[in-house]
Amino acid sequence: MNEKLNVLLVDDEELARDLLKSYLKGHEKVQLIGECENGFEGVQKINELKPDLVFLDIQMPKITGFEMLQLLDHKPEIIFTTAYDQYALKAFEINAIDYLLKPFSKERMCAAIDKVVERRGQAQEQSQRISRLSEYADEEYLDRVVVKDRHRIHIIPIEQIRYIESMDDYVLIYTDEGRQMKQNTMKFFESHLDPHEFIRIHRSYIVRVSQIEEIQQYEKESYVVILKDKTKLKVSKSGYKNLKEALDF
Amino acid sequence: MKHPFLNNRLLSIYYIVFWLVIGVLNFLIQAFWYDISYHLAVIDSFVIFILYPIMGSSIWFIIQYNRLDENDWLKNILFHFVAASIMNAIWLYLSYIFIKMVEQSHVNFIWGSLPSKVLTGYLLYAGYVVFFYAVNYYNSLRDRIKREAEMKMLVRDAELNALKSQINPHFLFNSLNSISSLTMSSPEKAQEMVINLSSFMRYSLQHNREEKVALRDELDHIKLYLGIEKIRFGKKLNPVFRVSEECLNARIPNMILQPLFENAIKYGVYEATEPVDVVMSCEPAQGFFRISIENEYDPKSKKHKGEGIGLRNIRQRLALIYGNPGLLQVSDLKTRFKVELMLPQK
Repeated sequence: MNEKLNVLLVDDEELARDLLKSYLKGHEKVQLIGECENGFEGVQKINELKPDLVFLDIQMPKITGFEMLQLLDHKPEIIFTTAYDQYALKAFEINAIDYLLKPFSKERMCAAIDKVVERRGQAQEQSQRISRLSEYADEEYLDRVVVKDRHRIHIIPIEQIRYIESMDDYVLIYTDEGRQMKQNTMKFFESHLDPHEFIRIHRSYIVRVSQIEEIQQYEKESYVVILKDKTKLKVSKSGYKNLKEALDF
Repeated sequence: MKHPFLNNRLLSIYYIVFWLVIGVLNFLIQAFWYDISYHLAVIDSFVIFILYPIMGSSIWFIIQYNRLDENDWLKNILFHFVAASIMNAIWLYLSYIFIKMVEQSHVNFIWGSLPSKVLTGYLLYAGYVVFFYAVNYYNSLRDRIKREAEMKMLVRDAELNALKSQINPHFLFNSLNSISSLTMSSPEKAQEMVINLSSFMRYSLQHNREEKVALRDELDHIKLYLGIEKIRFGKKLNPVFRVSEECLNARIPNMILQPLFENAIKYGVYEATEPVDVVMSCEPAQGFFRISIENEYDPKSKKHKGEGIGLRNIRQRLALIYGNPGLLQVSDLKTRFKVELMLPQK
């Protein structure tokens, strides 16, 4: 473990990056391998350079630090750097290895790096921690979803989502313009979509209420939902209960 | 509560004159119309219209112990009946002493008129009670109106203070971080930024200043703010001012522009990767000054959920100052965001 940690900076403000760079210069445990000034670039470079550690700002143009985490193939250690963000703070306290509140001192940053060095090697714990982190949204309900197909990042406004289907470790998001695949859990969407707009009708489906055209019984105690685009989706027992509660019938 | 006229010399004199006139009139009527002896007429007038009013003015203190809103009616009536009886007894006794002092022989005559005197005593008492209650009610009403007006003023001031832009912590901490960075790379710039930030904060924190300031002063403040943000955002932030000469002296509510620029930066510049123009313009228009602040934004960036605190605060302030929240117009043109203020010239 004598190797230096490869570090990447992601922050949209040049001065903030300059400060971190000058702090990191000469630090014996790390080596700076790159810097990015927005989330798109961040996703690309992390997947390409596979750093061990990323200093990540939360509020950035295009996509936020949290959204970036959902798009990573390579999962590095994350130290968040942020000025002030009440939602983010909550998430850090639960899952992040450490977070730095701007402005921070060099000593504080070194302590955070030491923490990472200390925790490295506990690989299992790390991957768990990071996947939990990527399930955090900076607000209670999402107003957009970011997805990546090959090399492009798409931003889907929530209004465009018709329904969501689960498929192993992925979810398929059906929109007005087709469908997108995203690595995430149904649980994440269930808890981050406004329950007034979306209902979980089945283990595999979350449906936008306003898309529902009809609810049909096709066997005793089993139902299907027919959407406006004529898609038929199965409804489970608990899903039927959810529908009944939400639509009040 | 203060006595309505004993504490006021002028009113006391009016009170005395009022009863004196009635007393004299009564004497004249009795003496010349009913042909009652002068002696008796004087005594009768004095007893009813001088002696009773002297005692009666103290009824004010009695009703202070028996506010109408505190007790039930039966209790009130009982209370006043007892008080009136005591008052009556004292009054009749004093009358008796007075008559005895003036003219012994009239005492018998007075005995004969006792029932009508007792009735007169009760009636006078009732008159006083009604009068004093009315005065009391009027006083407390006036007091309440005054207090309410004062309260409203206080609330309004407090609201206005609360609504004036508070420094956004996000802005503050990010600026401090920029300064922290500049102290290493360029100490002079760091110093400049500290000074600008201090001036900006000093202006923002002065809540006891005049409500309205010249647009010229507000612009200086805004430029300070933009200068600080420009150090953070560099080329991305491109402010443009199109302010006509006449507007510079316009009186506008202080700190009303800064939140608008803050919004423009938050939704326009912050989310952008390319330079963004933030255009402010001001021109006179039919008794108003039309001030607009416009910025481009990426419609795919984080949504503005409804109206943010900044815009809501400005609306409330305009309602408090001009009585019209509609002076602020917000239009979302999909890729451009425009806020328009119509401020009365007067």
